[in-house]
Amino acid sequence: MAKMLTINANKCTGCRNCELACSMAHEGVFRPEATRVHVYTWEREGFSVPMMCQHCRDAACVSVCAPHALTRDPVTGWVNLDHDKCIGCKMCVQACPFGCSVWDEQTHKILKCDNCGGDPACAKMCPNHAIEWTDDLVATRTRKRAFAEKFKDAFSE
Amino acid sequence: MHGWNGQIVRVNLSTGNVSKQPLDPGLARDYIGARGLGTKIMTDEVDPAVDALSPENKLIFAPGPLTGTYAPSGGRYNVVTKGALTGAIAAANSGGVWGAELKFAGYDALIVEGKAPKPVYLWIKDAAVEIRDATSVWGKTVPDTTDAIRAETDDDAKIACIGPAGENLVRFACIMNDLHRAAGRSGVGAVMGSKNLKAIAVVGTGAVTCADNAAFERAVMKAREKIQKHPVGGTGLRLYGTNVLTNILNQVGGYPTKNFQDGHFPTADKIGGESLAANQLQRPKGCYSCIISCGRVTKVTNKKFAGEGEGPEYETSWGFGGDCGIDDLDAITKANYLCNEYGLDTITMGGTIACAMELYERGVITREDTGGLALEWGNAEAMVEATRLTGTGEGFGKKLGLGSFRLAESYGMPELSMSVKKQEMPAYDARAIQGIGLNYATANCGAAHVRGYTISPEILGTPMKVDKDAIEGKAQLVITFQNLTAAIDASGGCLFTTFGIGADEYAEMMTGVTGTTYTPQDFMTCGDRIWNLERMFNLKAGLSAKDDCLPPRLLKEPIKTGASKGSVSRVPELLPEYYSLRGWDPKGVPTHDKLHALGLAV
Amino acid sequence: MKVLYFALLRDVTGKKEEEWREPEPTVGHLLHALVARYGHGFERWVLKDGELWNLVIILVNGRDVRQLQNLKTPLAPDDTVVIFPPVGGG
Repeated sequence: MAKMLTINANKCTGCRNCELACSMAHEGVFRPEATRVHVYTWEREGFSVPMMCQHCRDAACVSVCAPHALTRDPVTGWVNLDHDKCIGCKMCVQACPFGCSVWDEQTHKILKCDNCGGDPACAKMCPNHAIEWTDDLVATRTRKRAFAEKFKDAFSE
Repeated sequence: MHGWNGQIVRVNLSTGNVSKQPLDPGLARDYIGARGLGTKIMTDEVDPAVDALSPENKLIFAPGPLTGTYAPSGGRYNVVTKGALTGAIAAANSGGVWGAELKFAGYDALIVEGKAPKPVYLWIKDAAVEIRDATSVWGKTVPDTTDAIRAETDDDAKIACIGPAGENLVRFACIMNDLHRAAGRSGVGAVMGSKNLKAIAVVGTGAVTCADNAAFERAVMKAREKIQKHPVGGTGLRLYGTNVLTNILNQVGGYPTKNFQDGHFPTADKIGGESLAANQLQRPKGCYSCIISCGRVTKVTNKKFAGEGEGPEYETSWGFGGDCGIDDLDAITKANYLCNEYGLDTITMGGTIACAMELYERGVITREDTGGLALEWGNAEAMVEATRLTGTGEGFGKKLGLGSFRLAESYGMPELSMSVKKQEMPAYDARAIQGIGLNYATANCGAAHVRGYTISPEILGTPMKVDKDAIEGKAQLVITFQNLTAAIDASGGCLFTTFGIGADEYAEMMTGVTGTTYTPQDFMTCGDRIWNLERMFNLKAGLSAKDDCLPPRLLKEPIKTGASKGSVSRVPELLPEYYSLRGWDPKGVPTHDKLHALGLAV
Repeated sequence: MKVLYFALLRDVTGKKEEEWREPEPTVGHLLHALVARYGHGFERWVLKDGELWNLVIILVNGRDVRQLQNLKTPLAPDDTVVIFPPVGGG
């Protein structure tokens, strides 16, 4: 079973601890511009969502990457970026339908979530379980069960 | 520098000049940042006797060295100035995300001077600082201002702004950031309005760095664990928000009711945190780097008071609730939303309406004076309308906009204003809780609960339980809390972290991020230094020991009902010991020895 | 005696208040009886290693038992006992 980052947007409080953890883990400084996870907040509704690379099975970024810097590991299921091969053409930025491949103008690098090699900093720092590092089967089941409980409550005497 | 950016930006609105200067490392070490740095700049650059609403006053926006790091709940900033409400030093503390953005833009403080010839806003993108025309947004509410300025600058810009109340120089106008967070008290919004400054938009793409990444991470993880283990910071505040205090204060008989005429409100449960959670709460919200999430995203569906936004906090629920004899939570929350939209401090707004209600009860003001508003205890519609009129500056709202002291004084009854140094007391009855009363009397910004939150030991029992009715040891307790709070405010930290951590953990985090060694004692000494500097500013502004006093009601009229029936405040007995322990003379003036020990002697 | 519950104790007990008809000579006796009735979900918010958790606020007729005799505080049949789990702040 593979693991994935599960986003529970309904639990996100917009605190951005994930951005800070990611920035420190990868860059050694706190620079939210240079993170692989970004949080978007709609202030009027008070709703926030963290967004990061989803490591697609049929990854658009992999198919457009000319130097094959982006590849998919069939065992882990992760899309990995080899910075040494990357030529900075930004075709992955153009291709990703989710906007999760980001160009950093200060370091001239592509920023893309790499799951921190299996111990994601964002999931560890999130105080609200809005980002969780879960088995990919669990990710789909827990939300299904949580919603199914509403039926149980609706039908109880 | 690490933690600190090492840079201050100065904008003179009279001349249009923008300049930058380095942050002196010695100053940073001794005053830390935010409230401390702002007070030091005010002391060095502003004559304390100036009129708060004159161009000679300065308005300082300052985050702390922890702001913009993952120090738990460490993302705050302060607005420091001479308060329009009080004429004393003011440091209004706010959360949200705006302060962190200013750090990423590269600054430790923004100093605003002078007055613009016509309405302007500031647009700060990293090193680029522009003064732009704000004529098209002058008059707009906080949400509309935020949308309009984002359209002209950047969709992701973080906005701090005033609403119509600040523009109209309402004495207790506040500065809002990120729509729902307030630099609330003392009229800092009026100072901003007096400078014709409508908003400050910021985008920051830079970095905040650490002196020792590993040491800081260790200190942060330790602090996080302690906060998360503590039931208040770890669970309680997320579930119920601060409004959970309503029932607690009411059950101990310290819930000020009807302009402090009493200390118990029979229907308080209808407006407490439990009711809020059941009827209005959508989800919790957290400020920058917060792990506590006390923020309440709420919605009112009742057509009479419909709206959505954040809040109410405990003080707000009390101010529009029991203080006015009102038990309609929908009305309270609507008044809260109006304050956020117009830019009004909720505590002063509630306290002023309560004062007006007492004047009305006594027949000192009538429906003719109020333009038809029936300001009777419990009249929720009138309270909401009074708030709206204060926001728009219409009718009786113009008089309410003076705050309770100037309002009551205009009718010859200043003793009916439940305030200290003209700032309204918040939601804890000083007759039922002796230590908080001493804090109200001596806080440099005027009556405020956050300056020395002795409610923690006196009522909640954390870090230890003390007898709320006793006066032994209270002076020292208040001083310790006041000093620690000043240092935490200066660091950018949130006071709710003190449910879990204290000077030890802050000293470790400060040392790790800045590279400057702080012992816990150093940290506390910084707090003591900041406190004394504020006191000196106030003395030069014309305040004195005679202003360290509570309204006569709290000294002479015992609480009538509830668990603290019969109690009065004993602050006058505590003051001599307080001055002495602070190292001040019997007139409340810091002695030369005290100032010398803190490095403040001239 | 009357017992009032606040914050998450309302969810745990399913009540805001109740008339407790058993005679309980002290606060400790009452708490143990409530734990027996409501189980671990109640106990975890009031007791720590069998002792009163120092952050719990229990009032007897409006007076905090931590200023009286903690679990040994005596109770009379017409007393009102109020229990807050550790939640408050600010």
